[in-house]
Amino acid sequence: MDKNSLAGTVTPSEAPDEAEPESKRDQKAKPLTACLAGVPNAGKTALMNALTGGSFHTANYPGVTVTISRGRTRAEFGPEMTLIDLPGVHSARAASPEEELSCQVLEGRHPSIHPDAIIAVVDSTQLERHLKFASFTARRGKPLVLALTMMDMLARSGQSISANKLAEALGVPVVCVDGRTGWGAEEVISTLRREIEKPVTEDSALARIPDEPVAAYREIRHLLDLSGAIKKSRPLVVAADSMTERIDRIVLNRYLGFPIFFTILVALFASIFWAAQPFMDFVEWGFAQTGALALRLLPEGALSRFIAEGLIGGVGSVAVFFPQIIILFFLMTLLEDSGYLARGAALVDRPLSRLGLHGRSFVPMLSGFACAIPAVLAARTIPQRRERLLTIWIIPLMSCSARLPVYALLLAALLPGKAGRAGLVLAGIYISSLLVGALTAGLIGRFVLRKQSSSMLAMEMPLYRKPLIKPTLRITWSRSAAYLKKAGMPIVLISAFLWLLSNFGPGARQPVSESGARPALVTASDLDHSFAAGIGQTIEPALKPMGVDWRVGVGLISAFAAREVFVSTMAIVFHVADDGENQQAGLLENIRSATFAGTSQRVFTTSSILGLIVFFFFSLQCLSTVAVVKSETGSWKMAGLQLLFYTGLGYLLSSAVVQGLRLVGIE
Amino acid sequence: MSLVEALKNRRYRIERLEGPEEECRRLLDLGLTPGEETSVVQAVPFGDPLVVVVRGMRIALRRREASWIKIH
Repeated sequence: MDKNSLAGTVTPSEAPDEAEPESKRDQKAKPLTACLAGVPNAGKTALMNALTGGSFHTANYPGVTVTISRGRTRAEFGPEMTLIDLPGVHSARAASPEEELSCQVLEGRHPSIHPDAIIAVVDSTQLERHLKFASFTARRGKPLVLALTMMDMLARSGQSISANKLAEALGVPVVCVDGRTGWGAEEVISTLRREIEKPVTEDSALARIPDEPVAAYREIRHLLDLSGAIKKSRPLVVAADSMTERIDRIVLNRYLGFPIFFTILVALFASIFWAAQPFMDFVEWGFAQTGALALRLLPEGALSRFIAEGLIGGVGSVAVFFPQIIILFFLMTLLEDSGYLARGAALVDRPLSRLGLHGRSFVPMLSGFACAIPAVLAARTIPQRRERLLTIWIIPLMSCSARLPVYALLLAALLPGKAGRAGLVLAGIYISSLLVGALTAGLIGRFVLRKQSSSMLAMEMPLYRKPLIKPTLRITWSRSAAYLKKAGMPIVLISAFLWLLSNFGPGARQPVSESGARPALVTASDLDHSFAAGIGQTIEPALKPMGVDWRVGVGLISAFAAREVFVSTMAIVFHVADDGENQQAGLLENIRSATFAGTSQRVFTTSSILGLIVFFFFSLQCLSTVAVVKSETGSWKMAGLQLLFYTGLGYLLSSAVVQGLRLVGIE
Repeated sequence: MSLVEALKNRRYRIERLEGPEEECRRLLDLGLTPGEETSVVQAVPFGDPLVVVVRGMRIALRRREASWIKIH
């Protein structure tokens, strides 16, 4: 292929472009902004990586909460330019929130992103389809450069393209790039600068391609044929790359397809849980040490304990899941880049669409087993609103990893010394959460969110490619950081607030005092008289059907910060000395011997423990999830309904289990 | 006949699209336009969706969607 470019753009004024790049408008202070736009899998992210030297970050923009990467051009490429990587668009008739955002920006309808120029990223192996979208971007009347990617893959599908001839035919500058090696990146920028000086796109052949698809494709084919830019050794209908063909024959095979799919899922789970474990232990240890250090360094008092336990402990309860999230995002990005994710979606589309979901729902559902928050965010890629909402609706049922410590504690109390059986029950809980999720989706889909005929799959299956580690790591990091920003703050705030509730009470020895009484700091052992205890005691009658007392109630309330907080709260309310190693053993002992105040009746019995497991299985005890669902769906309605529905359901079913078991004589 | 009845790996030409307007428009946008050559290369384990090649692209289409595509 030839070292290319910007041919066809007859630029009469050969103004020295580096000298005065910002002559137009008052852009002396503000750097120019260019958007990368294209069909998904066009290679935008790799190009973004090459153009910015890897120093881009993701940011949330108002409107629909879609994360966009934003970065600056590398210093070697001359005066700084701001680059924005828009989400890929399948069709200019935007369907998913991501696509809608890209279209808003391109059509100038977005409140805060106003690009000065567009880099239309075009996959050379799927030229016709990508040019169709590029013509949509060209019609925006903004300076435009066409970046031709995947040139290395082109040979694999038996074609070659001349960028010069293509530029001539389309009337816009064309630059061949390889985002992976950075080849051609500088040329994209210098060409873009020249374009901003002297835009030619407005009446180019590319911009004159009609919007109507039949005519558009005819015109594109016509332009390409005339240009002689493409050399094909095979007709396009069989041109799909042979390696892709071979891999698909295996991974979509009638007999092997699902075994391979499940093997990949199991491997993914194994890495999320086992590979993350040492890192999680380390994070936990680190925060415990930091907390202890803070206690030692700061003057003793309420403030130092607030900082050590409320704040550092709160941050720690978020951070402990960070290793899992990073591994999840990393592996997901790898699978996505390799091209397998689309195959996975195609495989499960039929069973999922029977339930009213979509093939693409499987990624959010899978992520839900690590944490509901990235899962809700992942639902953005589902095009139909109904299917997206239904997916978000069942995500809280997926057994997230914050439930794991809770189940571990409850199962250890239920089946003392029978780790094997506890493990089996735990596996059962995980599988049931998937089945119950499917059932819920089916029921809600049938009776509440009625099926619309417009549900479609029609999904491109990208060519297989070897993912690049460095950009993958970068994307992983920026996604994880976005997660931390989104989920971290609420968890920290809520856990700090709950710490205050459980460490302050309306005056010592006076659980129910007049308002305005001096709040006195109470020590851990005085939690009994804290606000939290007050709330717990107030709701105790409501906890009766579940067969537990107010202390468990305090645990259930504190679990709204994050479910695993239940365990540490139990340790506090059941007065377990915090000496690390023995805490779990001490907690189990105290829990087993705990009785209702003034009686010899045990709190934790077979029935009440099972009831609690059922409660945690259903209940949406995670205010961060509620907040994310609110921001993703744009209203409190769904988030609030979900909170009430699942927590109510958990309460009812848990009470039913406890009372039912007691009826048949199981205490 | 429609794309659902197509024999595997045989080449056909799209004649027209017959189905709900909005959805057919999306298929057209994807490049499944009349006159274009296409073939079904694979069906996933449940027999649905089908993997279709058009314009050098592989596209997964549900049987329902493929049935709107009339071929000869």
